[in-house]
Amino acid sequence: MSLFGLWFLQLLLVPALSPLFIGIVRRVKARLQNRVGARVTQPYRDILKLFRKDEVVSADASWIFSSAPYLIFAVSILLGASIPLLSAHLTATVLGDLLTVVYVIALSTFFLALAGMDTGNAFGGFGSSREMTVAALTEGGLIFSLLALAFTAHSSNLFVIAGAISSLSLLAFTPIILAFVAFVIALLAETGRFPFDNPATHLELTMIHEAMILEYSGKKLALMEWAAANKFMLFLALGANLFFPWGLAASASPPALILALGALVFKLLVFCVLVALLESSLAKFRFFRLPDLLFMSFILSLIALSLIV
Amino acid sequence: MLSSSSFAAYIPPGFKPKFEGNLATGAVSVSEIAGVCHDLYFTRGLELKTITATDERNRGGGFRIFYVFGVPKQNLFIIPYIVLADTAEFPSLTKDIHEASSYERRIMTFFGLSPAGHPHPRPLILHENWPADVFPLRQDFNWQERPAAARGNYEFYRVEGEGIYEIPVGPVHAGIIEPGHFRFSVAGEEIMLLEAKLGYKHKGIEKLFENLPLASTLRLAERISGDTSFTHALAFCQAIEQLTELPVPRRAAYLRVIFSELERLANHANDIGFIMLDTGYSFGGSQGARLREVIMRWNERLTGSRFLRGVNVFGGVAKDITPEAGNELEAALQAWQRDFDQVIAIAEDSHSLLNRLEDTGKLDYQLAVDHGIVGVAGRAVGLKKDARLDYPYAAYAELPLEIAVEKDGDVRSRFYVRVKEARSSVALILAALKNLPRGECSVGEQRVKLARNRCAVGLAEGWRGEIVYFVMTGDTGDLARVDVRDPSFVNWAVLGHAGRGNVVPDFPLINKSFNLSYSGNDL
Repeated sequence: MSLFGLWFLQLLLVPALSPLFIGIVRRVKARLQNRVGARVTQPYRDILKLFRKDEVVSADASWIFSSAPYLIFAVSILLGASIPLLSAHLTATVLGDLLTVVYVIALSTFFLALAGMDTGNAFGGFGSSREMTVAALTEGGLIFSLLALAFTAHSSNLFVIAGAISSLSLLAFTPIILAFVAFVIALLAETGRFPFDNPATHLELTMIHEAMILEYSGKKLALMEWAAANKFMLFLALGANLFFPWGLAASASPPALILALGALVFKLLVFCVLVALLESSLAKFRFFRLPDLLFMSFILSLIALSLIV
Repeated sequence: MLSSSSFAAYIPPGFKPKFEGNLATGAVSVSEIAGVCHDLYFTRGLELKTITATDERNRGGGFRIFYVFGVPKQNLFIIPYIVLADTAEFPSLTKDIHEASSYERRIMTFFGLSPAGHPHPRPLILHENWPADVFPLRQDFNWQERPAAARGNYEFYRVEGEGIYEIPVGPVHAGIIEPGHFRFSVAGEEIMLLEAKLGYKHKGIEKLFENLPLASTLRLAERISGDTSFTHALAFCQAIEQLTELPVPRRAAYLRVIFSELERLANHANDIGFIMLDTGYSFGGSQGARLREVIMRWNERLTGSRFLRGVNVFGGVAKDITPEAGNELEAALQAWQRDFDQVIAIAEDSHSLLNRLEDTGKLDYQLAVDHGIVGVAGRAVGLKKDARLDYPYAAYAELPLEIAVEKDGDVRSRFYVRVKEARSSVALILAALKNLPRGECSVGEQRVKLARNRCAVGLAEGWRGEIVYFVMTGDTGDLARVDVRDPSFVNWAVLGHAGRGNVVPDFPLINKSFNLSYSGNDL
């Protein structure tokens, strides 16, 4: 398969699979609460339902409010094509650099926060304010945990990193594990999971991500929800394929890619179960305790980095 | 019959009351009422139960304002009243007795009598769309006609300063809860001021009591606050039974304890679950819901109603518990308690949960005393008050019960008061089942005739706190006035204080730890 073909495949893969992983997390959580829970395909139905619904847009909304969902969704699928999902090939993509990826994510967060404030809704305002607080503090941990990998691989290209880590000896793995822990904390913060945010809450005053998209309805809400699912899968895939890059296809032949897809789905399933376990055994942290956790992520990355350099 | 000597220690000099049952009622001149109440409240340490008014202008009187004081442990009530013949002003006690404030504002709103000297006499419950000169509890108010909509102004307290902004929340919420509006003034995430605007569920309950046939009023009482159906009906029944002198069979007294405690158990399990859920601890949330459901199904099995409606009747209860059902209930409750203990043990193992509960929504002790806080919120700051022991009713005097208290006044304390009470409720039900006397469970079908021109007070400890009914009959033995004081009415006044200084995302948790009734407050 040509490089373009592979890139195109990745472009479709994330939006096609991401709702499934949200459904799996919900299902596992339901089981852990002695509930049956909805089918794992429920998020697909929800998105489909929202696409069929009418929209209500506030009279005070500006172009930011109406364009943000498209931008955020586009960024989320573009990023899906820019990270190693199935193979460590594709090194030539423009977006494959870790700094580009992190800051394109920041760009979509920025627009999300702007959209939250756009209608002047009080909930959107504090949702955005909280999101920016958390995002600013997460950045350090996220960048430095990935930098630890970059220094190991002597490259900031994510595909090169994935290739280099897979050929690392087990002895050299200690700093990678530290960086991974730092990355997981950043992942939970970025994707609005416990202990930072509660994606299942109905309490408007406690929301972060949900508060920002409270004014959306219909198709735009569908895009926002879908983009959030994409982002969740994106981060899980980054964690799976940068820190544990085994199972990546060595060539771009269809059988190798299918095998690689199987490995990816398996790794993401394990991650989903872990997230669900975490969310079922933990209470959400008090808002002012979150910075402590994010600093811990930053410091763990620094330690990992100092062990490598 | 009680003699006047049992009251002797609680009658201030100059107050010449009439003794009827467990009440000492008497007129006091307008100029002396502040002194008499000060004496009762501070010198004699009595509890203020309610302040309420009646409109007797069409019977040749004027307005009367009753100050209902209770004597704990004695089950006596001292009720001085003033008569306002040709004035619409009464002296406010608020500056002396702080908890009088809400009662006086309520009288002002519903009777159009103004509390002279009240520091901040704002209307309560009725909103700015209610005309300012229409007073629904006056006798000349036509309750079947909708008054013209007014366009008044509702002023919230305002905090000014750099970086302060207001968050309006409700009355429509994202979750399925009752309607109420909260106005937060915040600096960043910290709550500087929190004010609740209630009244969205006002439905004219007190006016309905005066107009419905007596037989229907009990059903009305059951619907004042749906989750407290049984105990509301019980408090009302107890007031009515005083006026009819219906002898309640001993078996009914025990059954009332059992049903009342089942209601408490279901609601406490629910609250314990919801407190955990609101911290995001979903395991605890679903276990609470499950434990509540077990009890609700027992309610349905025993009485045919999950909310125990239609169980209380004047003079007893309509549903008996057969010995077989009693045995099964006993085994089920023992299993329930083991289940409950396990859930609590798992929750106590979660540091992230306990961390969220500790120091959150702290209520100051003195503040609670000044506002006369009742129920779970009061016991969580260490106020050892419980109507089941202070004003023993039904069969509580014959059953073992210890008041559950905590001292910190935070969410954790309110959580643990509920945990302890759930355990003591199980013990109470088991003891009541064991000692259940034989006999009838009600006095049976008979025409209930109320004594004329009498007052009565009915008191019962609902799961939220003490419910007070003040009932007055007219010349024909009709219900001339029913004043309902749900515990929520008292406790809403301090929610803002408990919220202050916390971060906004903690407010839902604080609110849930109080879990006050909107319906019971708005009436």
